[in-house]
Amino acid sequence: MSRADRVTWRTTMPQFLLLLYNSPAAVSHFKSLSPEEMQKGLEKYMAWAKKPFTVDSKRLAEDRGRVMKSVNGKPTDGPYSETKEVLGGFYLIEAADYDEAVARTGDHPHLEHGGTIEIRKLYGQ
Amino acid sequence: MNALDDTSPLLEHLFRHQAGRITARLVRLLGPANFALAEEAVQDALMCALQTWPYEGAPGNPAGWLFRVAHNIAIDAVRRDRTFAAKTDSVVAELTRSASQALADPDHGELRDDELRMIFMCCHPALAREASVALSLKTTGGFSTREIARAFLADERAIAQRLVRAKRQIREEQLTLEMPAAPELVVRVDAVLEVLYFMFNEGYATQSGETLIRQDLCFEALRLGQLVASAPIATPRVHALVALMALQAARLPARVDELGDLVLLEDQDRARWDDRLIALGFRYFDRSMAGDDVSEYHVQAAIAATHARAPDASSVDWPLILRLYDDLLTKNPSPVVALNRAVAIARVHGPAAALAAVAPLERDPHMRGYHLLLAVRGQLLLDLGRMSQAADAFKAALTCDCSQPERRFLERKLQQCGDPATASRP
Repeated sequence: MSRADRVTWRTTMPQFLLLLYNSPAAVSHFKSLSPEEMQKGLEKYMAWAKKPFTVDSKRLAEDRGRVMKSVNGKPTDGPYSETKEVLGGFYLIEAADYDEAVARTGDHPHLEHGGTIEIRKLYGQ
Repeated sequence: MNALDDTSPLLEHLFRHQAGRITARLVRLLGPANFALAEEAVQDALMCALQTWPYEGAPGNPAGWLFRVAHNIAIDAVRRDRTFAAKTDSVVAELTRSASQALADPDHGELRDDELRMIFMCCHPALAREASVALSLKTTGGFSTREIARAFLADERAIAQRLVRAKRQIREEQLTLEMPAAPELVVRVDAVLEVLYFMFNEGYATQSGETLIRQDLCFEALRLGQLVASAPIATPRVHALVALMALQAARLPARVDELGDLVLLEDQDRARWDDRLIALGFRYFDRSMAGDDVSEYHVQAAIAATHARAPDASSVDWPLILRLYDDLLTKNPSPVVALNRAVAIARVHGPAAALAAVAPLERDPHMRGYHLLLAVRGQLLLDLGRMSQAADAFKAALTCDCSQPERRFLERKLQQCGDPATASRP
């Protein structure tokens, strides 16, 4: 079954976007780990991502992206997002409601390392 | 379908082993003077995997992915680094060629060759043995400074210092990854074996603390030994050392019981010995028989093989083991070998004869404060029914440096002596 099939098949299940932010502290923590410890950490992430309620996931490019605004009526890009936490990637998961989405995200290893996860419900579901 | 659904689990120690392998390749291409650059590229490649695979799943060939990404990072770093100056283009070309090399085969012969050269450089006789062990673990083994420190029960900063000094020495003495030529080769192979044997014993010693990391040390020594043994330069004694390490490592799972208490060889549950490692040990032992060389490793492997061959503790061929210890003692007249030989004497000729063999060792200044000598003496006296003397020996052993499991073992022995001071203790 393709991803698209599954999404249409389960139209009744609301979907939530998990935005994973990497804090500088978490990044330097991971950099201080040994290869063996890194692999152990990675395996935890991958085990979480394999849970049946995940629909999609993607890593974002490492740059800060572009933020478009209109200045004096002219669209400009930049200055860019000033937050210290960089959006690293996202997951799309299924959950009945926010409570379940929060519960399902609660054991995400990203949280153990000081990372932040923002949960946003997709509209109209 | 989720991208991660068909990702198979990563191989055990994939990162550690690939880190070692890729570092070896990059150091070969960049030169030992650029050790740090190579290590950083590898670290960044692992970091990239950590930030990508949770979302995209592991690639079909994770080892090849890490290899390629580390090369790309190194290429960028070389381009930015002005110290390469006129050599930049040729180094980048070398890296590019290396990156595109056949990655499908993780046991690619040339990669094994890189690791081999790296081991030989790390184990160069010009470096102190402790430095060689730490450097081998760090570079070919993919261990972190902290892990090495934990394995050696040493301070992390001290290990970091040791590594820095060793790398500086490599630069200053211009040690290279060139394999030594024939006349020097034998000496250099022996130097490598000495380091690997030391590494193995550090892991094998029943110290307190973190068993897992210490076992990893044993298996790393075994892996590197097999790597050397697979090269055409391998002498029979390389095979003998691998046999010895495999046969001893086979007993690791049986050496402590569920409570973490020490189990003596004769009391070990042989069903818990690792059959695969025993088979491996015998295979290498057979290969070690080629040629006339009978090294210390040969004799020690023969002793380990004799234990492994016995179906149970009561059928061990102790007369053979005693003859082997006689042999070993002529090759290496050390008091520790003599002590082990005394244990074999007890089996063949009884405790009184063994006690006589132990007596001269007690006068050896090197053996003063050595808890195992006192423990053996105590056991022999216990076997002879000389309880109060046995108790004295165990008490003296308890005042020496020893690990917690050893301490508990000695306390149990002391209780067997019926010592009133300990009998009432729980």
